[in-house]
Amino acid sequence: MKFKVFRSNGEKSYYDDFNVPHEPGQTVLDALFYIQEKLDDSLAFRYSCRGAVCGSCAMLINKVPRLACRTQVERLKEGEDNPDIKGYPALKEGEKLNENSLLVEPLPHFPVIKDLIVDTEKFFEYYQELKPCLKTEGKPPEKEYFMEPEDVKELEEYTNCILCAACFAACPVDGENPDFRGPAALAKLYRFHIDVRDQEDRLELADHKDGWWACEFHTNCNKVCPKNVPPNVAIGKARAELKKKKDDK
Amino acid sequence: MEKEILFEHDILVIGGGLAGLRAAVEALKYGKDVAVLSKVHPLRSHSVAAQGGINAALGNTPDIGDDHWEDHAFDTVKGSDYLADQDAVEILCKKAPEAVIELEQMGTVFSRFANGKIAQRPFGGAGFPRTCYAADRTGHNLLHTLYEQSTSGDIKFYDEYFVTSLVEDNDRCLGCIALDIKEGKLKAFSGSVILATGGFGRIYNRSTNALINTGDGAYLAYEIGASLEDMEFIQFHPTTLYDSNILITEGARGEGGYLRDREGKRFMKEFAPEAMELAPRDIVARAIITVVEEGRGIEDEYVHLDLTHLGEEKIKERLPGIREIALDFAGVDPIEEPIPVQPGQHYSMGGVAVDTECQTEVAGLYAAGECACVSTHGANRLGGNSLLETVVFGKIAGRKAAEELDDKNAPESLFKSHREKDEKLIKSITTKDQGIVYSEILQQLKETMFQHFGVFRDGEEMRQGLDKIKQLQARYPEIYVQDTSLKFNQALVRSLELRYMLFISEALALGAIAREESRGSHYRKDFRNRRDDEFLKHTVLKKEKDSIKLEYSSVNLGQFEVKEREY
Ligand SMILES: Cc1cc2nc3c(=O)[nH]c(=O)nc-3n(C[C@H](O)[C@H](O)[C@H](O)COP(=O)(O)OP(=O)(O)OC[C@H]3O[C@@H](n4cnc5c(N)ncnc54)[C@H](O)[C@@H]3O)c2cc1C
Ligand code: SF4
Ligand code: FES
Repeated sequence: MKFKVFRSNGEKSYYDDFNVPHEPGQTVLDALFYIQEKLDDSLAFRYSCRGAVCGSCAMLINKVPRLACRTQVERLKEGEDNPDIKGYPALKEGEKLNENSLLVEPLPHFPVIKDLIVDTEKFFEYYQELKPCLKTEGKPPEKEYFMEPEDVKELEEYTNCILCAACFAACPVDGENPDFRGPAALAKLYRFHIDVRDQEDRLELADHKDGWWACEFHTNCNKVCPKNVPPNVAIGKARAELKKKKDDK
Repeated sequence: MEKEILFEHDILVIGGGLAGLRAAVEALKYGKDVAVLSKVHPLRSHSVAAQGGINAALGNTPDIGDDHWEDHAFDTVKGSDYLADQDAVEILCKKAPEAVIELEQMGTVFSRFANGKIAQRPFGGAGFPRTCYAADRTGHNLLHTLYEQSTSGDIKFYDEYFVTSLVEDNDRCLGCIALDIKEGKLKAFSGSVILATGGFGRIYNRSTNALINTGDGAYLAYEIGASLEDMEFIQFHPTTLYDSNILITEGARGEGGYLRDREGKRFMKEFAPEAMELAPRDIVARAIITVVEEGRGIEDEYVHLDLTHLGEEKIKERLPGIREIALDFAGVDPIEEPIPVQPGQHYSMGGVAVDTECQTEVAGLYAAGECACVSTHGANRLGGNSLLETVVFGKIAGRKAAEELDDKNAPESLFKSHREKDEKLIKSITTKDQGIVYSEILQQLKETMFQHFGVFRDGEEMRQGLDKIKQLQARYPEIYVQDTSLKFNQALVRSLELRYMLFISEALALGAIAREESRGSHYRKDFRNRRDDEFLKHTVLKKEKDSIKLEYSSVNLGQFEVKEREY
């Protein structure tokens, strides 16, 4: 299988072609390791769990932001596994998709450090800005806070986020407006908002043009999310709540 | 002149997994200046992958009565094949409820029973449903909670810093040298050190561990005089996904999953008639290998983990992550088909020897979590006890390091000589024109370890294995990387990790060969019985000049009498 891989030392960039022998069950991450170990040890990419839980290996694979360790080469070859996401300018940059090779590039909307490694500082800055930390009030109970299994279910949709930044790279709004806090940070904020244990007024934190109100509901975030987190739903609900609050005043 | 020590802190926590973050949060409470160094972003630490849960005698399950820490302790000691130190187990189990409640109050979204309390599930080797869980993503939920806690305070994070050595003077640890992976520069840090570097599973070719679990901490500590304990005890998890060896949590059997051979027969009946699929891991792993070797496996490689009878609803609610893994990595939907599984390396029971306050023999050096050996797991860890260990002992390490802090003077020249030594090593790897690539040695090492130090062991085979390890060590100086750039030189980092792995493999081999008995995870075909008269003791490995000295230390026994293990 041919791989066309984006290369950069932060200044100059180009593409390299590699031939990787196919094996059953091979993931894109496996292929990158093959390249690093056998063909070119200077290729750089982040990795850790190889099981789609740590969020290290998000990159642009065949023009879709996704986890390299979760993406099966076989399925891509067969033309499967291509979520129908809305196009945006960053996808038109660089090499074009072509049938004979797999295209592997760094996540768009972030500065490249080296090859497939990007600087996600901004992503984590936005996450921190929205104060993702439980704030309870008064003396805590002696044992656990009680929670309804139903409440937990809704929360889990958001706590499942592994902060891989695929959604940020897939969001057309983030491409256009670098100040947009992005789907993951907002989903996290919403997760604390609906946590029955939390006593902080949170929605206001993103009640501005680069927060809840910047979203245009392209829903790329949910479509590329490896954990099926629905930031778009959170944003919609948050907006409705804020509107209602203002109307009630 | 440029300053040699670039970063000064009171406490340097090395590792951003659960143990490291818990230690950091605690040390901060004592008003100390705390830094966390990690070779990956903390959220990418291996802890994030833990699935099944964390044990605590909360007794939350409706209608089956109360649970007690003593029962938890008994199960743990028995599970350890009586090698655990009972004073350490007592701390672990007594503090468990408080530790879990604390995490819940910090924000972890645990799964709940209908009555609103934290849900608990049965786990292997436990006499009571004691494992608290957040679906099958417990590690993920705990790590994110502790990350939220630790980044909302005043802790300084050095992400993507790879620690290359500890700095010691007069049996006192004064700091460390670390490679800033982004810049490719070595930098000196001063402060007391808490090691929380996790396990070393990746010395095996079939492992559930993250690719970064290379045992760096054990090597770093050993180099400056700390002892390593019980390195030969390696847990093999019975159910890892065939081929990729991604973990299929014991929770899947806890929820009622069956193991079946080619004929569909539940073979555990022959090995543990009472506990069946929920016998401790060492027993189930040996059963699977035996069944496959007898020709009753599928494709002579694996057996089936059957969840189909649990039904769609239960699988989707309790084991959503497992379903995702089976679908993504094996193309199997457990609602409809059984999952192909085989045993794989899973956990390192041994590690840096510490007392119950996480102190090593070197002042100013502490260790907690999987890299340490307190010892709470002895010869075999129970599922759900290691997440518990990370938070209970991480907290203790943070407190102890804060309390014991004193003004020590960190001579610049000492740091300089350490840095220069590491620099020389790095240069020797990056400036050669030809040689061996790390991956070649690594591949051979991993195969050697699985073949010679796997689930079933034998004296002669292990001695051959040790010879192979030594041969590989001898070739290490020929290692070279082609990449000459400084920035994110991953081949260099992996070559440095390999150095640690070669050492750890030797330490493991020495302990395993010397232990002429079968106990817990260490099963010898040439010594099939446990031999308490000679081996009810911990293996201790120490640096003596350029070789490893092997000694034994006694086990702290206590209220539970040493008995045969039956399930
Ligand atoms: C797949 C899987 C599932 C598991 N499920 C469970 C479970 O359900 N219940 C349970 O109790 N246990 C479980 N375990 C075991 C448990 O997850 C681990 O033992 C535990 O998370 C280890 O945590 P830790 O903090 O000690 O280390 P880790 O989480 O491994 O963290 C190690 C840290 O050290 C850093 N580090 C290492 N070397 C260096 C270096 N040289 N320089 C700088 N930083 C370094 C790493 O970057 C990382 O941040 C599971 C294990 C696996 C493999
Ligand atoms: S919401 Fe999904 S895509 Fe976005 S960071 Fe979280 S896990 Fe990744
Ligand atoms: S390596 Fe962890 S998500 Fe891919």
